Amino acid sequence: MVMKRREFLKGTAAIGLGGVAAGLMGRTALAAEGTLDIFFNSDTNVVEFWGSAIKPAFEAANPGTTLNLVSGGGGASMNALAERAFAALQSGTDPQIDMMEAIGPYHPEGAIEAGLWDDFSTLNLSNMSKVNPAVIDNQWSLPYRGSQVVMMYNSEKVPTPPKTFEELVAWIKANPGQFAYARPDLGDSGACFIERALQEVMGRDESLFTNENYTPEYAEPMFAKLWVLLNDIAPSLYKGGEYTGGNTPSIQLLASGVISMTIAWSDMALVAMNEGVVPETTAVAQLQDLAFIGGYSSVLVPTNAANHEMSLKLADFLISPEVQNKVVTDLGGFPSINWSEMSPELQAKFANVATTSIPTFPGPWEPALFDGWYRNVASNLTRS
Amino acid sequence: MSDTLSSATAPASAPLTKWRPTGLLFIAAPILLIAIFLFYPALRSIWGTIYVRQPDGSYAFSIASYLYFFSDSYSLTNLGRTFWTTIVTMVLLIAINLPIAIYLRFSGSRLAVFIQVLALFPMFVPGIVIVYALIRYLGPNGLLQTLLEVVGIGGFQSPYLTPWGPVIGMVWDAMPFTLLVLTAGMSGIATSAIEAAQDVGAGRLRILFSIILPQIKNSLLVVTSLNFLGLFGQAFMPFMLGPTSPEMMGPFMLRTFSTVRDPLQAATQATIVFALCSVAGLAYVRSIARRRAAELVK
Repeated sequence: MVMKRREFLKGTAAIGLGGVAAGLMGRTALAAEGTLDIFFNSDTNVVEFWGSAIKPAFEAANPGTTLNLVSGGGGASMNALAERAFAALQSGTDPQIDMMEAIGPYHPEGAIEAGLWDDFSTLNLSNMSKVNPAVIDNQWSLPYRGSQVVMMYNSEKVPTPPKTFEELVAWIKANPGQFAYARPDLGDSGACFIERALQEVMGRDESLFTNENYTPEYAEPMFAKLWVLLNDIAPSLYKGGEYTGGNTPSIQLLASGVISMTIAWSDMALVAMNEGVVPETTAVAQLQDLAFIGGYSSVLVPTNAANHEMSLKLADFLISPEVQNKVVTDLGGFPSINWSEMSPELQAKFANVATTSIPTFPGPWEPALFDGWYRNVASNLTRS
Repeated sequence: MSDTLSSATAPASAPLTKWRPTGLLFIAAPILLIAIFLFYPALRSIWGTIYVRQPDGSYAFSIASYLYFFSDSYSLTNLGRTFWTTIVTMVLLIAINLPIAIYLRFSGSRLAVFIQVLALFPMFVPGIVIVYALIRYLGPNGLLQTLLEVVGIGGFQSPYLTPWGPVIGMVWDAMPFTLLVLTAGMSGIATSAIEAAQDVGAGRLRILFSIILPQIKNSLLVVTSLNFLGLFGQAFMPFMLGPTSPEMMGPFMLRTFSTVRDPLQAATQATIVFALCSVAGLAYVRSIARRRAAELVK
């Protein structure tokens, strides 16, 4: 039995390696003059978006160029590809990579110092001035699509959406039963709501929360203030303090008309609005004092790419209004360029979501925050 | 499931006369698999709840996580909610399915076939589809509420996100299995016995309590114990349809493990659930063993 199992493991490992080798060879064989090899860390829906919205337009505008869109196969293999690009840089050979999507520039170590990635702050791409400075994380990553948590509401019942968290709380209390957010562990939108509330009770000071500084002693007094705020609004929530089971159920509740406002991810909200599963009067808005949490996906271009000129041309195309409009309409994403550069219809539709800040919240805080929420906020509901 | 069915319904087979080692050889492979992939990891995690890593890195015996569970009112409320949901669901399942099973046993009409197909239908629908369909149907401003308002009944309170939400979802989900076991049990009742009772003037209720129920006692026991096992650990229906708090043990364990990132407490909760469920498991095994023994005596 043991022998057999070992042989079995060896066999599967060999098949796995063979598959990887075949895959790499396939990629090598495809590299050719005028073919841009682009590797994706994002899901297939994003690759499909490139295939239908970006590839045809770019290839038509640049005859002789072909975009070869390759699913990178997850973080570990994307890292391996970045290592390959770095090794090629050191040996002066062709990395067979012209662009990498949705990974950071920090792996492999030393790559930035060695000049592996293009520095977009010095390249003067023609569309660079259109990019919203708030969404740029570092000069090597060119952000091209985003998702941010927003307020999603029925504009018939909410003519002027809240602009600050304080106004949001006031609106919730003035309209009992009309607001719901998701349980923090089941929908990130709900997590973002209580995290934004935590930032609110701590004076909107983002620097208080970092990846390294969570300790129970440090966090407890802050949480205590948060529970007061959340318990204060709980009786004014849907069903006197009930919480939805995820991002989609929140939107569903809004769609059914029982509530007038909820918290949602922008891409899910936009897809729901484009597909018409929510009423025509549905709209989204962003807080203007400190926005809800969000994140942007970027592309990296290796400086040693064989088709370097063309890769930069593609990068410039990505942040053109032409592609950015499609990011909103076809992908349900957020544009990385300023809303003022977008098509007038989209500008009008999303006038309330333009943001000047895209905060993040450190993961190490979440286990204690979420469990505390269950024990101190969710369990206080008394059913009549 | 087919095991349960056959053991609950199979006619007495040829008695086992000789003890043959080849028989054991046949079951060696599955037992080994169960031992390696189920028993060993389960025992390890149970062991891990009492032989605990201390802050200084050493290991020592400790029942602190159990003491915490039984002194934590939040955990106990969740356990209580799980019992409530399980028992209410089981009672409803029997109340709904027993009449159907009796009807199917004594009616030969085409309608009976149709009803049987209809009752088994949930088996072919994936849980996630049922959940979203139920939310659309039973949810606030859903189809049911709209229909009720059309006929002039207002004041509908949606069970969505209340303790009744998961009960309804789980009744839907467990109905086909319950009905299958009960109809299988029913088919073992001899028509002649009922006719004999009618001849001596027994009323319908009398027939139900004195003839039908005693004969399907085993099926009822099987269905109760297996449903208990299935319902008690349910995680999906409760967190899609149920209230945020109190939680059922299924979502609570899941959350403790993945969100709170406290594997020790999650394992402790799982061990407690396992201990409670093994009572139901024991009842099931005993009922099977009794039947086996009875068959061997014949």
